[in-house]
Amino acid sequence: MNIFKRLPELQFLILITIGCYVFLELFVKSSVLNSDLGFSGVDIVFISFILSFLVAILSVIAGVGGGVIFTPIMLAFTSVDTLIIRSTGLVVAMFSGLVASGPFMRKGLADIKLVFLGALPILLGGFMGSYAAVKLSEHFGETGDSIVRLGLGLLLAAIALVFVLGGSSNEYPQDKIKSKLATKLKLRHMYWEETLQKPVKYNVQNVKIAVFLLFAVGVTGGFFGLGGGWAVVPVLNLVMSVPLKVSAATSGVLLAMGNSAAIWPYINIGALIGVVAAPWMLGQIIGGIVGAHILSSIKAAFVRKLLIVMLFLTSFKLLSRGLEGLFNISIPFI
Amino acid sequence: MPTQKKPPIPISGVIYGEFIYWCTCISALIVVFGTIKSFVEGSSSDIPVEQLLDAVFAGQSADAVWASLPVGSTPNAGTYLSLLNTGEAITVLGICFGVLSVGPAIFLSAAFMWRSKNKFFAVTALFSGAFAVIAPFVFFLI
Repeated sequence: MNIFKRLPELQFLILITIGCYVFLELFVKSSVLNSDLGFSGVDIVFISFILSFLVAILSVIAGVGGGVIFTPIMLAFTSVDTLIIRSTGLVVAMFSGLVASGPFMRKGLADIKLVFLGALPILLGGFMGSYAAVKLSEHFGETGDSIVRLGLGLLLAAIALVFVLGGSSNEYPQDKIKSKLATKLKLRHMYWEETLQKPVKYNVQNVKIAVFLLFAVGVTGGFFGLGGGWAVVPVLNLVMSVPLKVSAATSGVLLAMGNSAAIWPYINIGALIGVVAAPWMLGQIIGGIVGAHILSSIKAAFVRKLLIVMLFLTSFKLLSRGLEGLFNISIPFI
Repeated sequence: MPTQKKPPIPISGVIYGEFIYWCTCISALIVVFGTIKSFVEGSSSDIPVEQLLDAVFAGQSADAVWASLPVGSTPNAGTYLSLLNTGEAITVLGICFGVLSVGPAIFLSAAFMWRSKNKFFAVTALFSGAFAVIAPFVFFLI
């Protein structure tokens, strides 16, 4: 509860947002939507906010961005158009990272030099990926939707595997050799670890490969509306040997920056529906602040395990929906 | 009590984080206002929010969603500005305000990077900031 006392702006935002939804529930007539859900418009908005708040805490701690959780689940379990889901997914991925940038930088958890090293490749890649998504949708319609679900299912399974293979031994990578390029660029090599109450040193490796990988991450993140944080953490942690917590924080800042370009192609074709995205954005902001403060004082390993299970389950559902759409079949029990 | 000294935190990072943080909080307030307005104005709006949600959750494509509303056609980044009397457009404006805060934040941070003699990162930051600012306008050119 300390965090709420320390941050009056957080109290204010929660008060205003909850006040808004209570006002809407009590004083605005809202009819039940013509969907299978059986909720009114206001109910949908309020439920979305609560879900987004929980997703934000989880995603900030894991450093993956909420898009990784939001987009696949919505694609797998609702009939909302894929472009609308992906544009909202980018908002979800972006805003928890945007708001968490403040606490991460204040605490010295995110590395600003790594952020600027990866920003341009991610920005360019994200923009190109989302542009490609819009073009694919224009040319392939329903088949394109099934291809997206199938592709995302495979991608999620791959991400989950990366997390499984990464293991927990990478929380504090121990590379003794200093990379020449990293030394030349004066990349940072130390941060304060709250749980150990001491500074942790690290040596950044493989700068060139990482820059190329970050571009690829930007493209896939923009294309699928995931954001890209899911892969930034492995790139920073496994390829560049940056400690897990610094990777998670830097990834949050980086993906927020990258998605700021990727969102425009979606806005320009009307795929960003304000009333759908708003509660998710608000939940991400409030949950993002809470998650960013929790991250400095917990071990991130258990969140990774939870995330792995969720990624596998969602990828399974996405693969089945993709196959159903492509081959016009019905897979039982899924 | 910590027995070792905390490493210094780069000012360029703090400036970037604080700028984005407060802009995001402001954008949240705009979005809250937009949401309330959307529901209060009801069916009298050019973008009636209940109808909009109905179409979205029925699984319609973005084009079909907009075609079913009084506004008639799909709004883009430009035409949203002419619909600013609607709650929906204000909500999108709030989201865009948060998104657009990235560019200026990068420029501010780049200035502090330059002053702290990290010229390489100051230059990469300038390129990133320029791209973040230009991205919304690219569609008017292609």
